[in-house]
Amino acid sequence: MRALIFGARSLVRQPGRTALGILGIAAVGALLFDMLLLSRGLVVSFRDLLDSIGFDVRITATDSPLPAGVRMKDATRAASDVARLPQVAEVLPMRTANGEIVLSRGRVVPAGITGMDPGNRHPWTIVSGVDLTPRATPPEIVVNEQLRDEIGVAPGSELTLRAACDPGRAVAAPRTFKLVGVAQFPFDDEAQSTAVVSRDALREACGDDRDEADMLMVASSGGAAAAVTAIKAARPDLYPITNEQIVARMQTQGFTYFRQISAVLSAITLLFGFLLITVLLTVSVNQRLAEIAALRALGFSRMRAAADVFVQGALLVGVGGVLAVPLGMALSIWLDRILKTMPGIPSAMHFFVFEPRTLLTHVALLVATTLLASAYPMWLVARLPIAATLRSEVVG
Amino acid sequence: MSTPLVEARALGKIFPMGGGPVHALRDITVQVSAGEYLAIRGPSGCGKSTLLHILGCVDTPTAGTLFFDGREVGALPDVARSDLRLRSIGFVFQRFFLLPMLTAAENVDVPQAEAGRSKAERRRRTSELLEYVGLSHRADHRPSQLSGGEAQRVAIARALANNPRLLLADEPTGELDRSNGEHVAELLDRVQADGTTVVVVTHDPSLAERAARRLIMRDGQIEREESGR
Repeated sequence: MRALIFGARSLVRQPGRTALGILGIAAVGALLFDMLLLSRGLVVSFRDLLDSIGFDVRITATDSPLPAGVRMKDATRAASDVARLPQVAEVLPMRTANGEIVLSRGRVVPAGITGMDPGNRHPWTIVSGVDLTPRATPPEIVVNEQLRDEIGVAPGSELTLRAACDPGRAVAAPRTFKLVGVAQFPFDDEAQSTAVVSRDALREACGDDRDEADMLMVASSGGAAAAVTAIKAARPDLYPITNEQIVARMQTQGFTYFRQISAVLSAITLLFGFLLITVLLTVSVNQRLAEIAALRALGFSRMRAAADVFVQGALLVGVGGVLAVPLGMALSIWLDRILKTMPGIPSAMHFFVFEPRTLLTHVALLVATTLLASAYPMWLVARLPIAATLRSEVVG
Repeated sequence: MSTPLVEARALGKIFPMGGGPVHALRDITVQVSAGEYLAIRGPSGCGKSTLLHILGCVDTPTAGTLFFDGREVGALPDVARSDLRLRSIGFVFQRFFLLPMLTAAENVDVPQAEAGRSKAERRRRTSELLEYVGLSHRADHRPSQLSGGEAQRVAIARALANNPRLLLADEPTGELDRSNGEHVAELLDRVQADGTTVVVVTHDPSLAERAARRLIMRDGQIEREESGR
């Protein structure tokens, strides 16, 4: 009889214990799966988010991680220098400021304001109304759905914006804007109020004439790396960085916390899995010592008897591991919802992201755990003294 | 003179125990010819099961040598000893030790599958053996659904599965009532009559009397030998 069928029958013989064992492994496996999803989830999600808006290079004035650092001076000239490069398809300068929408009876709604001229591609998606027109009079504004709901006005209405562009500077006088559209901004969190106006309009709202930008957003025409090389050669005073480099930087800085949590919890989960499997198999072996000794007497080799134990472990982990995947996926959706309520997390980002490699890692870790966890009960079986066991069973 | 199937020369077995070593066997020399029926009797603790285990290659002596079919087997590696047991030696235990999750037929199938026999061959042999022990109608029953006598007969069928040359039975009637014990004893007679060498360890005088030769053991030694039914 094949070892697989033999092992399966041995497990079915103790249905309650086997079912509990499988459930235990499924629970442990689900947690492990979630930790693996978490270990790279933010990175993968963040990279997808960066790529989704169509710009693959960002240029800043300093090497400080975004969005900290110093604003770029003379941004229009920098943008046109970069735009002339054949490796670059499009460049859009972007400036941000804090702002307030001033409503009737003095009520104000704070909002993050982006100053950016719409080009062929831009990091927002119009969901109602129309996009910005540069140099329109009165200046135009597009808001996100959260801000629209807060101020309760529809496209076509006028609204008053007061901008605070630099800490320590007096807040500029309010300006009237025409709300032309409602858009989704990929980096918004669920409670964030955001608006976008043209660069000129933001400059006016800020009450200054400084040609500054937080960054230049660049779409390369022949690959981000080539564009970065060309930008560095043309403007060595600027700091271009590709999406991949931003992700790599986040991986070693901002997201390290989650990776460490994931590594620690994965290790603990694997330890629980190891102990669970070892205990189950050891108990099973100890209950079947006489049978195992009898099989050895009938001609089963040490290797063969030990293989039966491994097959039992593999079946327990195999079935439990398969159940763990949908269980883990369901659990990850729930946990993702909870974690995404943290402030500052863009709605489009996810903590738990499935990748095929996660499944492979999950399987590899479970296989390794099975091998390690089966080692002790297999050793017990391999070292079992046949005659002494048969004798003690009869005397017992 | 033909080579004995099993030959033990000056076997000794010492068990290291907390209170000092226990001499389970002392200087045992015995030969078992092919086709012979040998019974080993003696009081509890006299070393008869230990001798049976050594003869069946499931235990090793601390002194002396053991030959199976003229080949010294004491120094064989575990794999070779397992293979010898699988193909040439059958075991019957006092407590049957059938696998409870398998049916009677599957229990008989196990050693054959391990020996690499084809499915068709196994099916034919299993059916033949269950008929031999009178349990064809119980082929699909699990051990828990069999009486003690029936379970022991299935165990005998399992022991015979790979046509062993030697059948070793350790107290095969020890767990059975008189009537079932009698059935098992008759079956062992038949096994021997059909050409298999049988060695039985027993307390049961009526079972021992069926053997043509009887070794009476005491304190790890052969006290005397009897022959004749």
